[in-house]
Parts: sequence; structure tokens; C-alpha cells
Amino acid sequence: MTLDPAIEAKAPKDEVKASDRPVVATGTSKRPRRWLPAINALAALLVSAAVLYVSFFGAGSALPALGPTFNPTTGAWTMAADATNPVNQTLTITGLEQPVRVTFEQDGTAHVVAQTDRDLFVAVGYVHARFRLFQMDLMRRQGEGRLSEVVGKAALDSDRFELQLGLLRTAQKEWSQADDVAKIALNAYASGVNDRIEEAKRLHQLPVMFTLLGYEPQPWTPIDTLIIKGDMTQTLNFTDTPLVMALLNQSLGPDLTSSWFPVLPPNAQSPYDPGPYPSQPAVAPIAAMRAVTGSEAATAAALHDRLAALPPGLLATGGASNNWAVAGAKSVSGGALMAGDPHLHLTLPSIWFQLTEDSPDYHTSGVSIPGTPVVLIGHNQHISWSLTDAQNQQTFFYEEKEDSAHPGQYFWKGAWTDYITVNYDIPVLGGPTEHLSVKLSVHGPVIGERGLTTSVWWAGNIPSQDFSVLMRIGQASDYTGFREALRDWRSPTHNFVYADDGGNIGLIAAGYFPLVVGGQPWLPMPGTGEYDVVGTVPYDDIPQVFNPPSNIVWSANQRQVGPAYPYYIGTASNFFDPGYRANEIRSVLSQDRKLSTADMMALQTDTRDFLASEITPLLVEALTNDQISSPEQQARDLLAGWDFRMETASAAASIWWTFWQAYLAETFDTYWKSRNVSVDRSEVNEALGQDLEAWTLHDQSNPTFSKGGAARTAGDVMRVAFHTAFSQLKGKLGSDPASWTWGRVHSRELENLAQVDGLSYGPRADRGDANTPLAAGGDPSTHGPSWRMVVDWGTHTFSGIYPGGQSENPASSWYENRVDTWWNGLYAPMLSAEQAGFAPGAATWSMQP
Amino acid sequence: MRNPVWLVIVLLAGVAISLVGLLLGMWWLTFPAGLLIGVAIAPARLAVPTGALAGLLGWMLPLAADQARYGIGPAASSLAAIMGFTGQAAIPVILTCLVGLMLGLTGAWLASAARLLLMPATR
Repeated sequence: MTLDPAIEAKAPKDEVKASDRPVVATGTSKRPRRWLPAINALAALLVSAAVLYVSFFGAGSALPALGPTFNPTTGAWTMAADATNPVNQTLTITGLEQPVRVTFEQDGTAHVVAQTDRDLFVAVGYVHARFRLFQMDLMRRQGEGRLSEVVGKAALDSDRFELQLGLLRTAQKEWSQADDVAKIALNAYASGVNDRIEEAKRLHQLPVMFTLLGYEPQPWTPIDTLIIKGDMTQTLNFTDTPLVMALLNQSLGPDLTSSWFPVLPPNAQSPYDPGPYPSQPAVAPIAAMRAVTGSEAATAAALHDRLAALPPGLLATGGASNNWAVAGAKSVSGGALMAGDPHLHLTLPSIWFQLTEDSPDYHTSGVSIPGTPVVLIGHNQHISWSLTDAQNQQTFFYEEKEDSAHPGQYFWKGAWTDYITVNYDIPVLGGPTEHLSVKLSVHGPVIGERGLTTSVWWAGNIPSQDFSVLMRIGQASDYTGFREALRDWRSPTHNFVYADDGGNIGLIAAGYFPLVVGGQPWLPMPGTGEYDVVGTVPYDDIPQVFNPPSNIVWSANQRQVGPAYPYYIGTASNFFDPGYRANEIRSVLSQDRKLSTADMMALQTDTRDFLASEITPLLVEALTNDQISSPEQQARDLLAGWDFRMETASAAASIWWTFWQAYLAETFDTYWKSRNVSVDRSEVNEALGQDLEAWTLHDQSNPTFSKGGAARTAGDVMRVAFHTAFSQLKGKLGSDPASWTWGRVHSRELENLAQVDGLSYGPRADRGDANTPLAAGGDPSTHGPSWRMVVDWGTHTFSGIYPGGQSENPASSWYENRVDTWWNGLYAPMLSAEQAGFAPGAATWSMQP
Repeated sequence: MRNPVWLVIVLLAGVAISLVGLLLGMWWLTFPAGLLIGVAIAPARLAVPTGALAGLLGWMLPLAADQARYGIGPAASSLAAIMGFTGQAAIPVILTCLVGLMLGLTGAWLASAARLLLMPATR
């Protein structure tokens, strides 16, 4: 770049004045060109304008505003100062009434000790916001439909859907119905968050993502906290399975659909509540599968496509969590043992923040969700609890009857009824504000209008005072108090495992179990009133067990009850887990010996695939008389000597898993192709796998195995699938079966919450699969044990670990400092606040009002 | 104006204005600092580098201070990753210095050019 061509011209150094003149040699004249200064000024103006523009506004979405972003004192670089771990210091928190002490362990675990309950929640709000403010803001924006405001139109579909579904409306209702205790807690929490927001703004310490996205967080409100609860409910319980069933029904026909996707699971299960059950007849009769009409299928297809296009996490896609307890009578220590590992999307930062909360009325320790004030999974001085998703059907679709003669109305219970309309404005970064009108029928919001107008009844839209419940759980000292607290829990429905210092154990599926008047709730139903949700299974009748004779309780998203249970609670088709983890856990816990904390930890990282243990011996047998090559024989021998553990060094694990996928394909793909099934088979593999398991074990001549008119048995299909799997692995990993280790084909990744690949962890070779207690479905697996906790009430020892760290700041040493411990199956002691004060490297904040 | 003392004084003033601006969140003050340098120093071939140097120093010194106090390595790595340059921590450092440099440079250049255009006698 020539800054001043006139001045940079060829004047001799000793002619100072001449050198300053705009003189350019032309070859014909030495006269200065008078227009050069103007060009110079114009060039300076244009370049300056360009530099200032990029500095103020950036360049599209690729480049942020460079000035504020890279300002070393107030921009993104403040993450360096923010990354420093807490030191002993005094902080002034205006929302407090009394001094509060917060002690941080070396790994970041926070211990909040307050003199009043209100101050406890103020301090927790401050601490959460100090370490997770962007995560909290992102989560509330997602639920409130305000992501587009900060990321632009790319998030518009998500925002529209969330506002239609109604998390915001539900949160507003919950707030209006909250009791005084919850209101005090949520207001106090919001006050603490806002203290930090103001402080961060004042000191230019907002998390870096705010700087990069160019916005500042709005004040926190109790509604925001309730929205985050709604986010979690949605990701666990909002499903599209009835739409999938409608599409399967339309293509496969009602007979095959009801045969392959039955209400009751076809395979062996391990219900934790085996009965006896209440004797009254089922409220919802189990009807025969009817044929879905073309217009119903087209409507379901349109809505299914719409939901499939939403970002991950807005739709529940099957759960995977474990919890169990062992009574004092069966433990080495003599006290009750409890273990819990909820499986969620594994992100950095994690969904969890570990802390202890101590105040006059609360003494809880465990993990909380940033944005919410209470311990969700943990223990107090007398009881401990953890949870798994109950997986009962929580989402029902209704086709509303409309008529052009009755605009704005739907037909319900014999009369035309007005839709209620709610209007929203969605601000969009870089574009005009979007207006959205949401129609509400008696069933719920209308979420599909292509084809038949479809509304959705979702349990997550029932106001549920979860924070009141959790605060009462935190104060409970026995099972009666625990169970009574859960009476008011509506959604998401969870299996709450329980253990206490008296050696007692229990498990209860607290929450809403919708009762439908009739019809076929596994399909979209007519919205004319005959098939409405009319209530919930009575609390005394929901699945539950307390101090069973076996001295063990367990849940792993399996169907909680046996076939004699009189209520319809969902089908086997992806509402409930196939049950392999539950079967394995029950098998281990049922050993005729006393169990220890080490046994609990080992089971949480157990990689034994129960399904493989059932099927592999039959596969090996089927191959015995088959004409197979020497390398194939080697692969068969690996399977024959396998312990069914999905370890990274196991070649048999790779052979098994590849075989099972090939076995599914060889059995079902013919039907998928000939019937032109629009649902991706992988969406229903869990349900099909249960069928295949049952047929392989008990019905090897099932007609489904036949192909092209030729009868085949399970053995025939297994042999074909084995050869296919062998070829696939050989093509991918080479010709030596011994080298086909599971770690070469299976990995795990902890994804950065803001979807910045460089800030994710992995992919890294890892053990486990979708069926093992150490859940690791997919490749790379992005879901899994988000928190592992083991409690021994006999020794009063509490251990826990989650993959991640307490800070969302990627420059902080607390960003991913716990990952290796978690990865290696190790735990950290869960200290009390008093113990933490003496822990090496601890630092304390003295918070003053 | 080629008095070295004056040059240094103007340079330091430019750096100071830039620093104060950064501390107050008014990062754009680096540009007016460059303008002042362009006005205060002639000829342009001195003013423009001085403006660039003032901008560079103004933005680099706080970074250096952060490096001394906290270490900016992890932050630089994280910023690079966010920008899509995983493992290239130097990029955000260079970009930061470049922003300061360009703001100072363009400020000084614009002022010098304007002076040259409006007041040719002062060339």
C-alpha cells in the first residue's frame, strides 16, 4: 500500500521541502500533479472507512466486530483474567441480607454456606452466573424462542417451534401458581444471578461468547429458571413416536406394524415393580391397530419432517440412564448403597454444576443445573436420590376437525369451539422481526397445519412445581417424606431411586402417567373429544417399590411394570428402553453375596452387552457347520471366546456390533425397500432389535426371516449377516480379525455447547455401546453418563464425577479438568462444606451484603 | 516536524489516548489518536508510522500485561479455536495487534492526507 505516493516520490534526502511536495516524474515534465493529494485523501478516507466499518460491525457472520471483540481490556481477551480460579477474597453482593461463605475445592466444587435460606439461593445464583452465565442465557433463549435475536434467522425454526410448543406459557403458569417457598427461592436466585450480571458488565467480565455474538444478557427472572426446567422436560419427554407409528402403519400395514411394534415388549424384561397391581380394569382399552388413512399419513409425514429438522435436543430420542440401590441387609458396610448415572448429551460445559448447599433448612450436596437453584441429584444428611427418565408416553397428537364454514374453530365434544390465539414477536438479528400466531385447542398447541391440523398434548405443558418438590426432597429425612414430596411432581416423569441412613431403599416413577379415554394413543388420534387425556394414573398406582424382599431396586429406562399392569403407559416402540441395561444391572445386583461401593462403581462402568450374551452363543453355533474361510473361522473363534464386554481392545466387540447391524439389515431391509417405508430404519432399530432378539431366542422360523419367497431361519440369516459383517470389517480395518478392536470403530466426544469443534473433547476411542450399563451408543457417542454418583450410607461416603468442569470458560483450568477422572471410571469424594474448608488448595469467598 | 522529542511525546500521547480508550471500552479512540498524530506530525511519512506504532503499542501493552498477570496462552488457543483456527493461538494475538495498528495508521494517514489537501503550505 502506498500511503502517500506524492511524498514517497523520488526526492533527494537533502531537499526537505521538495520531498514533501507531491512531485512525480512523468518523463516529460517535473510539474507536480495537483490531483494526487486528492487521490491520497480519498484513498485514506476509503481505507479508514473500511477499517472502522470492520472494527465496528465486522464482516457478516464470518468476522465479528473486531474493535470490541479484540479490545484487550474489555473484549474477548478478558477470558484470560476470567480463567483464573477463585482466591480468598471478600465480595460485595447487594442481594444478600447476611454474610455468606463459598468455599471452592481445588477441582472447582463449590460449597455455599448461608445464614438464611434466602441468602443461600442468592449466593447459588451468583456462583452459577459467575461460572456458567452464557450457558444459562443460551438455555433460556432456547426455551423462550429468542435464539434468533442473537444468532439470526438460522435459529428461526427452533424459535417458532418452541413458542408454539409453549415452554414460555407453561413457565408463566407455573410462576403464577408457585407457592411462597418456591417464589422466595426463585426470586432470590434471580437476584444473585443479576448481581453477577451487573458486576460482569461493570468490570467487563462477561463471558467471551457474549462479546463474540455482540450482545449483553438481560436481567434474569424466575420465569427463566422455569424455562430451563422446561428445556430439560422437552429433551427427555417430547417425542414424535406416534407420527413414526403412523408412517410405519401406512407403509407396512396395520398387521405388521402391530406385530413388530407391540404395546408390550416381546423380549424378556426386568420390571422393578413386579406387582401385585391394582385390580381395576385398564382405563384405556388396548385396541387392535387400525389402518392409517392417506391424509393422516401425509399429515404425519409433514410434521415428522418438521420435527426431524429441528436442532438436536428439542426432541427426545430415547433415554439411557441408570440408577439402583442396595438395602443395608445386602451391603458389605451394612448401610444402604445407592448409585445413579443419568445419561444425557455430553457437553462442555456440562449440564451439571457440583455444589453443596447449607442453610438453616437445607443441607444438600450433589449436582444442580445452572439456571436453577436446587440440587437435582444428590443427598442430604439422611437420604440420597437419583433419577432416570421414566419413558412412559408423554406426547399425544390430535387431528383437529375443522370446516371452512367455521373458520378459527375446531369440532370438539359435539360443538364448534374457538381456538385461542397467542401472538409473539421474534426479534431476528440482521432481519425483520418475525410475527408468530399460535393456535391453542383444548388438547394443546397446533404444531402442524400441512394436511390435517394437528395439535399436541404434551405432559411438559402441565404446570409442575418441581422446585417446590426438590426443596421438600432436600429437607426429607425418610421415605415417607420423600414420597410425599414427589406427589406433586408432574413432569418430566422420572424414576426416583432412594436410599437412606436407616438402610432403606425405594424406587418410584413420579410424574404424570396420562390416561386416555380410549382409542389408539400410539397413533395420532381424532381431536373430537372421544380420545382425550382425562387424567393421570393415581399416585398409589404408579410404579413404585419400597424395601423389596430382594433387597435391590434398579431402573434403566425399562418398562417399570410387568404385563399385568392395568394401565396403558406406552408401547415398546421407543417409549421404553429395550431393557438390556436393566437386565444386566439386575443380574449383577442379584448375585448371592453382599455388595460394596466398589461393586457399585464397577457396575456403573460395566461394558457387558446383555444382548450380545444372549445372541452370540447362537451365532457361534450357527456358524459351526458353515463353510467359512480361515479368517472367518478366526473371527468366529474370537466370538466364541468373548466375555461380551465392549472394551476398546476387544476385536470380538467390533465383530458382534457389526454383525448385529447386518443382522437387522438382512432381516428387515427387504421389507423397508419393498414397502417403501419412509421412516429411516435406524429410528426404530431398538424396537426391531427386541423382535429380532425374541425370534432368535424363541422363534427361529418366524416368517419375517423369509426372503423372496424362500423360507429362511434365524440361523440362515445370522450366517448371511456374519459374512456381511466380516466383509465390512475387512474392508474397513484390514484382513486380520484380531486387529479389529472396538476402539478402532467406536469413539466418544464431548461436544462444545456453542458447537465450536475446537473446544470439544475428542473424538477419542472409548468402550461401551448402546446396550451396556456404561452407555455409549453411536459413533462418536455424544450421549452417556453425565454424572456418576455412588453413596454408601454404612460408611457415610459419597462419591461423584461428571465429564467436564465447573467453568464454561475454555481458557479456565476448570473447563475440562474432570474429564480424565470420569473417562477412567474414577470418582472424586463429595466433601461437606466443613471438610472442603480443610481440603488442600481450597479458596473461600466471603460474600458480604 | 522532525524533532525526535516531539515525535516521542506525540507517540506517547497517542498510546495513552489509545490505552484510556481501551480501558473505558472506547476502543475506537485509537483512531482519533491516530488523527491527532497525523495533525501533530508532518511529514506524512513520519506521521503514518507513528500513528501505526501508537495503535500497535496501545493494543499490545494490555495484552502484555495480561500475559504477565494471567498468561494469555489458553485464552489465545480458545479464541483461535472459536475462530476456526484450532491450534494456531498466534492468530488472535496477531489480529489484535493488527486492529490497533490499522486504527492508528488509518487515523494518522487520514489526518495527514487531509492536511496535505487543505493546507498545502504546511506540507
